[in-house]
Amino acid sequence: MFLIFLILVKGISVNAYDTPNDDGSSVTVSWESDIPYSSILILRSEQKDGVFEPICEARVGRNDYQDTLIVRGTFYYYQIKAMTDEGEIISAITGPTVASVQVFNTGRLNIFVAIIILFAAILFYISRAKREKLFIRKIPALAAMDEAIGRATEMGKPVLYVPGIMDIDDPQTIASMSILAKVAEKTAAYGTTLYVPTARAMAMSMAQQVVKEAATKVGRPDWYIADNIRYLTDDQFGYVSGVDGIMLREKPATNFYLGVFYAESLILAETGHSTGAIQIAGTAMPDQLPFFVAACDYTLLGEELYAASAYLSQEPVQLGSLKGQDLGKLIFIFVILAGVIAGIVGFQGFYNLFISVH
Amino acid sequence: MHFFDRIAKIDRRIIFLLIGLAVIIPLIAPLGLPVDITAPVKSVYDRIEAMPEGSIVVVSIDYDPGSEAELYPATLAFLDHCFRKNHKVYMMGLWAPGITLGNIAFQEIAPKYNKEYGIDYINVGYKPGGAVMLLTLGRNVADVVATDYQGLPIDSFPLGRMVKNSRDMDLVMTFSAGDPGILHWIIYFNARFGTPIAGATTAISAPRQYPYLSSGQLLGLLGGLKGAAEYETLVGRVDRATAGMDSQSIAHVVIVLFIIMGNIILVWEHRRKK
Amino acid sequence: MKRTLPLTIVLGCGIFMLIAFFVPVRWFQDASQTLQTWYLGVIAFFVFIGIFNLVRINVLKIQHKRRDWQFSIFLLIFLAGMLLAGFIGGPDGTVFLYLFQHFQIPLSATMFSLLAFFVASAAFRAFRARNPEATLLLIAAVLVMIGRVPIGVWIWKGFPSLVEWIMSVPNTAAKRGIIFGIDLGLISMALRVILGIERSYMGGKD
Repeated sequence: MFLIFLILVKGISVNAYDTPNDDGSSVTVSWESDIPYSSILILRSEQKDGVFEPICEARVGRNDYQDTLIVRGTFYYYQIKAMTDEGEIISAITGPTVASVQVFNTGRLNIFVAIIILFAAILFYISRAKREKLFIRKIPALAAMDEAIGRATEMGKPVLYVPGIMDIDDPQTIASMSILAKVAEKTAAYGTTLYVPTARAMAMSMAQQVVKEAATKVGRPDWYIADNIRYLTDDQFGYVSGVDGIMLREKPATNFYLGVFYAESLILAETGHSTGAIQIAGTAMPDQLPFFVAACDYTLLGEELYAASAYLSQEPVQLGSLKGQDLGKLIFIFVILAGVIAGIVGFQGFYNLFISVH
Repeated sequence: MHFFDRIAKIDRRIIFLLIGLAVIIPLIAPLGLPVDITAPVKSVYDRIEAMPEGSIVVVSIDYDPGSEAELYPATLAFLDHCFRKNHKVYMMGLWAPGITLGNIAFQEIAPKYNKEYGIDYINVGYKPGGAVMLLTLGRNVADVVATDYQGLPIDSFPLGRMVKNSRDMDLVMTFSAGDPGILHWIIYFNARFGTPIAGATTAISAPRQYPYLSSGQLLGLLGGLKGAAEYETLVGRVDRATAGMDSQSIAHVVIVLFIIMGNIILVWEHRRKK
Repeated sequence: MKRTLPLTIVLGCGIFMLIAFFVPVRWFQDASQTLQTWYLGVIAFFVFIGIFNLVRINVLKIQHKRRDWQFSIFLLIFLAGMLLAGFIGGPDGTVFLYLFQHFQIPLSATMFSLLAFFVASAAFRAFRARNPEATLLLIAAVLVMIGRVPIGVWIWKGFPSLVEWIMSVPNTAAKRGIIFGIDLGLISMALRVILGIERSYMGGKD
């Protein structure tokens, strides 16, 4: 429950209100002045006729202050003291104001609705996938995986798998680990050496676990060598020089670059090309896609990296999520078209639906 | 072997040698090509010019030595501008190696304007945590920053006491080579707290920021060495970035010539097959 | 149990963090903050695991005199040296700064510089007008490369404006489309991971 008073005294208007969409821990005091001032002091009291204590000196140019030094449930009165060329001006008192908790951040309602729509689309197709077979187009890079690993086996050379340079909190690294599991199953089954250099220790631990479990799954636990999955360095270019060294020494026949990459993408791809390896890349970094497309034989573009695990498993439920994602994309395309039309006819209301409130 | 056959099978090292010469020769014999100013860079410059004296600019050093060649000149030019306009610089970094680079930049620029550490500028050090840290920083700086990079209590510095949350930050300027970096500041800081964000990125990352420029989430952008050279020109500081522009120009021309040669070979191979 | 417990934790934490994004109630925010702080603590711990792995592999390489074992000696010496310099002198210490400025910076910059050479060789090999799309890519690349450097202005004054248009309109439109697709794919994958549909990153039987 809060009250707002807008009081105009000598060119300074002050307004205090419960900070919207917060946890009830602050009150916002805002002011407007048509008289230039050199400093603003914000005063506060729990009684209208009580002693007003200064709580903050706001910087010139600011016209609001978020008072977090409150006690929850307490009503406060505020006043502004401004130093101007004509001397000190004290505004009228505004209040009582109390901070309150908002259970839902209404500023993010539009994001909430979008997520619900997307989740509904994905869940719809997941349930549909359980009843009928869904068509998913062929992804050339994934279809070429078997051929690439077979090539390495025939040549008696190892396979190099680079899971990107970021840690497992990045979804691309998780997606890469999912694909690594499939690659490890095949290389273990064929008895081909697999090297997985990582740039993060947690990624190394996860990769070791994934590869070990893959070897066990295909009945080849003896194939697993922990030292083939190793940590090099967190440093970006230290890592890429380490991987380049592995490529030039071990001369793998097949290179996989799947995950997060930055500037090192072209360095890796060109070095791999110089060794004659077949290269399959995939990343959701839009800046690096052109380099991989130019230098590698096959490239997973953006969302195809996230779809890879579902595609390789061919599980109906996972494939259903891909269709749901496509439905979500279609919905957003229509929203964009509607936005373009609204922009052309000058309907600002449609645009306002997508503004997020701080 | 036909001439075009030889070119098609050219040793990569000859290409590398030609690129090397294209970069080195203009450094020895500069061409002095003029640097044009683009709108994204001008936006950053205009913002610094317009901010009242004493404004607090958060400078985030989000790069490592690998990107130093492109982003360090931009850092120097920007700090030069901030100090000249008597703004206060609150430095931090989302990348650990960036802090040392930031300190080196301070040592180079601050004495020129008689700026004092703790009053006019401060370095609060490397802050891990990416998105989480930024969300916390915007709400309450004290939850993230207890000391400066040397381990001294942050409240012992006047500038350290001035910055309590995002509302005390007038602008965030991030020098970003990757992740975490400029996108984190845009998504987790500007979107949550409304603080204006400007950035300098490597040339590779610059195209990716244009959607945020056009939507207004990013105030301005210094893209690559060219962006740094433009900023140097604006602030009247002829330094490494400007010096590198001649080399970059010639190197780009050489690459374009390679592309043209490659396509001539393609046409010739088609005709030979027919 | 081996997989049920981690999957339950993933489900619980995923849904909790999602709710915390929309609910500003203090308890939710504090708990969300705590979870994320725990994650930072785990990362910090894993740095030691990584260093231990690195040292162990290189020590074994030296012990068994495997190929190029001599380089492992240098690696261990510099690793130890940099650690000691940082611990003893701090980030502003003379030795640490010297190593940083005269080794790390030039070495990293050198590796980054390889891009200039590799871009040239990749461009020569890959930028061929094999089909209409490749031709369009080729023309845009040439225009942007020339227009973004001062020599472009010298050739034609309109180059920068043309390049800005290419960057602001077709490039931005394409990037937006790619980013939309990537983010939708990310949400879909996140939902699969949270609901336990996607499990292959954990290894073992599906």
